[in-house]
Amino acid sequence: MNSPLTPQTRSNPIQLAKAIKFIAFAVTVGALGLSYVYLKNQQFALGEEIRLTEKRIKQIRAENEVLLAKTTELSSRRALQQGMMNGSLHVVQISGDKIARLTPASPAMEDGVLRTASNERAAR
Amino acid sequence: MKRPECIRIAFACGIVAVIFTIFSARLVHLHITKNKEYKQLAAEKHLMRQIIHAKRGMILDRNGEILASNLPVRTVVADASLIKNPAAVAALASQFLGLKEADVLKKISSQKKYIVLKKEVPEEIYVDLDAAMQKAKLRGVTFEQDAIRTYPNGESLGHVLGFLDHEGKGIQGIELTMNSLLAGKNGYRYIERDRTGKEIMLYRGAEEEPVHGKNIRLSIDMSLQSILEEEIDKTFKELKPETVTGIILDPKTGEVLAMANRPCFNPNEPGKAEPEQMKNRAIIDMVEPGSTFKIVVAAGALNEGTVNEKTSIFCENGRFLYGGKILKDHHGYGDMNVHEILVKSSNIGSAKMAMLMGGDKYYEYVRKFGFGDRHGIELPGEICGLVHPPARWDKLTITRMPMGQSVAVTPLQITMGMSVIANGGHLMAPHIIKSVEDLDGTKILEKAPKVVREVVPEKTARFIADALVGVTQPGGTATYARVNGFEVAGKTGTAQKVSAKGGYAAGKYVVSFVGFMPAEDPRFVCLIMVDDAKIASNLNYGGLVAAPVFSRVAEKAARHFDLTPTLPPIPLQDMPMAKAETLNEATH
Repeated sequence: MNSPLTPQTRSNPIQLAKAIKFIAFAVTVGALGLSYVYLKNQQFALGEEIRLTEKRIKQIRAENEVLLAKTTELSSRRALQQGMMNGSLHVVQISGDKIARLTPASPAMEDGVLRTASNERAAR
Repeated sequence: MKRPECIRIAFACGIVAVIFTIFSARLVHLHITKNKEYKQLAAEKHLMRQIIHAKRGMILDRNGEILASNLPVRTVVADASLIKNPAAVAALASQFLGLKEADVLKKISSQKKYIVLKKEVPEEIYVDLDAAMQKAKLRGVTFEQDAIRTYPNGESLGHVLGFLDHEGKGIQGIELTMNSLLAGKNGYRYIERDRTGKEIMLYRGAEEEPVHGKNIRLSIDMSLQSILEEEIDKTFKELKPETVTGIILDPKTGEVLAMANRPCFNPNEPGKAEPEQMKNRAIIDMVEPGSTFKIVVAAGALNEGTVNEKTSIFCENGRFLYGGKILKDHHGYGDMNVHEILVKSSNIGSAKMAMLMGGDKYYEYVRKFGFGDRHGIELPGEICGLVHPPARWDKLTITRMPMGQSVAVTPLQITMGMSVIANGGHLMAPHIIKSVEDLDGTKILEKAPKVVREVVPEKTARFIADALVGVTQPGGTATYARVNGFEVAGKTGTAQKVSAKGGYAAGKYVVSFVGFMPAEDPRFVCLIMVDDAKIASNLNYGGLVAAPVFSRVAEKAARHFDLTPTLPPIPLQDMPMAKAETLNEATH
């Protein structure tokens, strides 16, 4: 009677081809999984960058609008008039010789006709 | 295998199977039965619809000067569920927002998810607070974008521009009438947030871009507006009337170039204004126009051939008994032609012309001149005035209406009526919107001048205009309306003020002057109306109160328009109203 523990009957040979297939499959799945995680991380990092850039753009736009509003306020007619009234702005009359004219000016008193400041070029 | 072993194995397998079945059942319950409920909960926690605010369009004057713009601000919002260290957040936020630390702490201790800490926080403060929060690694405070409307010129043009309510919706002026174009349309985006409240870009959902509001370009010229405001402001302070109204418009196009009222309000601070200050009296007040209305009867009678340039009308030496009442002239006049009736502003002459025309015909001209109808200007609240049809007239109406009584009109209607004479007989549709533009300045819509109707032929309008030049010449009623170097045409109006109790209020007058310049080729029509100036009755006339204001406005406007003077200078006249002492004496 043969012993049940005979080495010949208990042997369990490794099927190399199957093992390689299994390992290859496992490695592929693992690599895919890791790639997926890596890509997700990349996407997340990129999203974070986009979010911060969007925030910065928004902030710059807002700052630009604030500056525009301030410029409008400071250069408004009311602000300029107030500036002139309290002396922080001073308007100096432009003398005739400082004006470049396409047509020669006619002296205001030459023909007795009153010329308004901007009308000195009026027809004789 | 022995039997008891098999039983044990089967029992253990059965328990495992039952456990897995329970787990599976729970899984099915959570994923299928409770799917909607938990999805909703998850969405509530992480998913949100983020509003992308549309930018409200600006309001510009005809030369591109900004009249209304937006100032970006932030609303500081706290989410108590995300705040781990309320004391630190309260300390930091209160420091930057100028709030009491205890108040902030109390607010953020409420565990609510949306707590408004402060509105209208300037952009600079937001930047600093955000940086400080990040540095201190605190979270739970977000900053929502918002904007406040600013009107850089303050009170100037306030009635025309209007203002917004707390929700950013226009509730007066151009802000109201053009709200749909100015407001644009908000966009949105679905976003998911992580546990710290930051958006996870990876899960950004559906998105719709906002449609920004359009810019509105007005026909207003701020240089002229400034001139008009300065003068009516001076009048309001010096003569202390109830109201002063001024309008400048282009008679050829109907474009409103300037419109101002006193009292006025600052649209930056509408809460501080009284309702009376907010009224744009140029379009919502109706007054008896007084003698300015005489142009209607004169133009109508001439056009109908009832009278001609040479027809002589007897003016009853200043007292005309009709319908049991005496109609008086300021001075006694005998025979006068149409020209003289207008120059001398004869009530009797005007009444007789209307009587010669007949009530129906006269009424037809009143309506043709645009009285009794809304002109349809793009401003809210315009009224049509009050012009009764002949069927509702009493016996005296035919003599009273031609001199501007028994009829109520708006200042804008008077100005448009005078424009008919100035532009050669056409009633134009007044407008204050010049164009609608994209944010980059591309014109989407441009308003073209619109002729409503031909009221009188050019010849008739020219004749009336010539007579109106006489009004400002020596011997006329408005010599103070003259402007150096230019021919001015116009008409004074002095109407007793209607009392709230009925009849006329003693000693109270609405005085006006409406004229155009240069008379030969008008560039603008200007109305000045002063309601109940606090001066002596013998000085309270259109020719003495409103005409000098017109003159000053017109003189400055001529410089602005670069008009070429055509006449020699006129000698300076003594102004009865020029000195404050005279005024004070007259008032007391």
